[in-house]
Amino acid sequence: MISLQNIEKVYRTDTIQTLALNRINLEVEKGEFLSIMGPSGCGKSTLLNIIGLLDLPSKGSINIDAQPTGNLSDKQLARLRNQKLGFIFQSYHLINDLQVLDNVELPLLYRDTTAKERRQLATAALEKVGLSNRVKHFPSQLSGGQRQRVAIARAIVGKPEIILADEPTGNLDSAMGNEIMDILLQLNREDGTTIVMVTHDPNMAEKTHRLVRLFDGSQVQ
Amino acid sequence: MLKHLFKLIWNKKRQNFLLMTEILVSFMVIFAVFSLLVNYYMNYRKPMGFEYDRVWSVEYRPGVSFKTKDSLVVFYDNLRNKLNGMPEIEGITFVSDNSPFTANTRQSNVDYKKQHARSVNWYDADSGYPNTMKVKVLEGRWFGKQDDAATVKPVVINQQLRNELFGAGKALGERIGEEQRFRVVGVVNDIKDKGDFSSPGNGMYQRLDTSNLGWVNKLLVRVSAKADPAFESRLYRAMSNSFKNSNIDINHLTAKLEDINKQTLIPMIILLIVAGFLIINVALGLFGVLWYNINSRRSEIGLRRAIGATGKNVSAQLVTESVILATISLVIGSFFAAQFPLLNVFDLQSGVYVTAILLSVVFIYLLILACSLYPGKQAAAIYPAIALHEE
Ligand SMILES: Nc1ncnc2c1ncn2[C@@H]1O[C@H](COP(=O)(O)OP(=O)(O)OP(=O)(O)O)[C@@H](O)[C@H]1O
Ligand SMILES: [Mg+2]
Repeated sequence: MISLQNIEKVYRTDTIQTLALNRINLEVEKGEFLSIMGPSGCGKSTLLNIIGLLDLPSKGSINIDAQPTGNLSDKQLARLRNQKLGFIFQSYHLINDLQVLDNVELPLLYRDTTAKERRQLATAALEKVGLSNRVKHFPSQLSGGQRQRVAIARAIVGKPEIILADEPTGNLDSAMGNEIMDILLQLNREDGTTIVMVTHDPNMAEKTHRLVRLFDGSQVQ
Repeated sequence: MLKHLFKLIWNKKRQNFLLMTEILVSFMVIFAVFSLLVNYYMNYRKPMGFEYDRVWSVEYRPGVSFKTKDSLVVFYDNLRNKLNGMPEIEGITFVSDNSPFTANTRQSNVDYKKQHARSVNWYDADSGYPNTMKVKVLEGRWFGKQDDAATVKPVVINQQLRNELFGAGKALGERIGEEQRFRVVGVVNDIKDKGDFSSPGNGMYQRLDTSNLGWVNKLLVRVSAKADPAFESRLYRAMSNSFKNSNIDINHLTAKLEDINKQTLIPMIILLIVAGFLIINVALGLFGVLWYNINSRRSEIGLRRAIGATGKNVSAQLVTESVILATISLVIGSFFAAQFPLLNVFDLQSGVYVTAILLSVVFIYLLILACSLYPGKQAAAIYPAIALHEE
């Protein structure tokens, strides 16, 4: 499903050059639930962003669904992100000026859909994360856990084959974290969604199929 | 998508209110500037209404005084004959001090039945005026000797005053003014006697006769193409002979026009400079607000890119949002601006305001496009990971 070959990422600032990722090779199977762990600053987010086509590697190549992504245009990349990928971020990244339902509908706006279809799909996605009773709320009126559930609904509304989650439970207490984790596990189990999740929590990582450890930009396990 | 944008704009009405106010104020400022410019331009495009290039104005101060009115009339008749006898002279007319291209004005109100014309320029002239100035008599006739016996003073009015007082009705023979003192005997075309950028106002011409001839100290002379400096000094000597104790001053109307144009142009140029600064200020203000708005939304932009928006989608969205906001402000602004022609504030033609509104709308749209295209492009160009990184 996802295949990384010899990925390197170098960040250059005026004074220093950081090797954030060093020759990463990774294969993720269809339907797999993979977790990535490692100390802060080791390059987890960088790796996830590169998998999600949000950032370009300095070296190496990424194939998604056996399709090389190196030479894709902005438009083709956008379509790939829109149709194949769903993102969940530690800080939710909801649009505060839009109600829950509108936030969830967002990815569908960049597809050929009618307003009615969007409404139906978004309502269904919110039902799946147990937030049907909050559709008219604004993000500021929700708890952290609820916000993350909105973000999950947004990630799954377009039925992507892959979900990329960057510390989805990082800002939540363990009870809330477990709830979010259950939703992800269910998505993986029932819909066969491939999931790559960055986490700091060994208990969460334990529930996934496979664990990848990073240290200073290199894969150590 | 449009509905989505409206929703977004509506939910952010507090922030957007600021931007819309800024656009609205900018529009009103630009509208005021354009109104003035358009007004000047429209005046400039209007015909002068008379031929001035070979007309000289001759002043003699002080004038003359005689014991009896008859000897005054005889004096002026002799002077006329003497001047008309010079081959270079094609026409002369004695006039009041508010002759073309001077700063002098004499105005009052003129009534006709219920109609009330304000700021009517009141000119004195004699029968030589149409021939000297080459104005066109559009209705009736100019005044002359045949009016000597008239019991009601004959006057000639200009086209604008005619329209204001009589509309489509009959003007000739009607009596106007306080106590119906005057009878309209003719209508002439309007003249821009305050220079290229002035608007021709209401005008009424009164015949110089024994009652006011004693006040005159100016005449206009139309000269032939052969008139040279030598002739000018001959004319000067002839005048000095007639007015032994007066200062004689000969000016060409072409020179006087240049002077009076300068007098209008200098404030206009100052105004243009001020307006230029205002426009730059407005542009910078708008640019700043839009730039800030767009930059404070980088994480939203990153998010949109992450879920499938192309760079073009993002910049199109930002530009469209600005254009929607501008449209709302411009509709409100045009409503206010339209009150000027509707209520006839400032006595300008409504065409001036309408043109100014259209120009201002185009100007603001161009400004908005320029001010949102660039930050929009910039925002769209950053890689999504970077945009998302900045909270
Ligand atoms: N935009 C950037 N410019 C320069 N350096 C960067 C940039 N983004 C990340 N880095 C550097 O790359 C390295 C990896 O960062 P990354 O965000 O991937 O770490 P992480 O493993 O996600 O850490 P955390 O667990 O704290 O989120 C860090 O040393 C970081 O300083
Ligand atoms: Mg991170």
